[in-house]
Amino acid sequence: MQLEITTKGAVVVIGIRGDMTAVTGGAIEDAYRGMTRDGARKILFFFAKDCYINSGGIAILIGIASASRKNGQSIRAAGLSDHFQKIFNMMGLTKYVAIFSTEEEALKDF
Amino acid sequence: MDPDKKIEIHIPSVPGFEKVAMESAASVARGMGFSGDRIEDLKTAVAEACINAMEHGNRMDAETKVGVTLTIGDAKLQVDVQDQGKGVGEVATPDVDVKMEGKEKTRGWGIFLIKSLMDDVQFGAAPEGGGLVRMIIHLDR
Repeated sequence: MQLEITTKGAVVVIGIRGDMTAVTGGAIEDAYRGMTRDGARKILFFFAKDCYINSGGIAILIGIASASRKNGQSIRAAGLSDHFQKIFNMMGLTKYVAIFSTEEEALKDF
Repeated sequence: MDPDKKIEIHIPSVPGFEKVAMESAASVARGMGFSGDRIEDLKTAVAEACINAMEHGNRMDAETKVGVTLTIGDAKLQVDVQDQGKGVGEVATPDVDVKMEGKEKTRGWGIFLIKSLMDDVQFGAAPEGGGLVRMIIHLDR
């Protein structure tokens, strides 16, 4: 998995390529803790279309979404394939993490 | 069943190898004419079943294997995922609200996804021993 962290105005964007699983998710958790320490309040997860995401990876995201509520942060997700948008909906995760087709749409929503 | 229509794969109980089974199932389904959406459903279900077999059935013992058998029917594909342990049984439907509140661990979605994405799912024991998950996906659904 490759992570690319950039800042777009007040939003910290975590770009994710490759496999998002329980095995690789630790790197995302570390990145989240780091940006939280640095004061990030708006966080966007941007997934490459060909990401492989399994339930262990989604569980990592649920953990971060849960922590973000306690930390007073807003979280969005973008770039997911139609399949993973469906999966996030089925799980009910979209109640807590709004998903958008493009990065631009997600940035506008913050 | 025509043996030519059965494909067997054995993967080690090491995370990441589920992608071998996942891509094999996708390749077979593509050849059978399944739509792209249904192939994505199949990929997720096969991956989750393999991960469950590694974690719960084989206890992540890298010496053990997960067996995946793809059986091509006239208008359906059956995928059997077999471990060398006791498999994994039915579990309560996970609740994202409870997980968000931190009242239970965030994992535990695999069976929910398998049952949501496949047309028929059975959990049981293989005749030769080990846990077995049988998943069927139909071409006309």
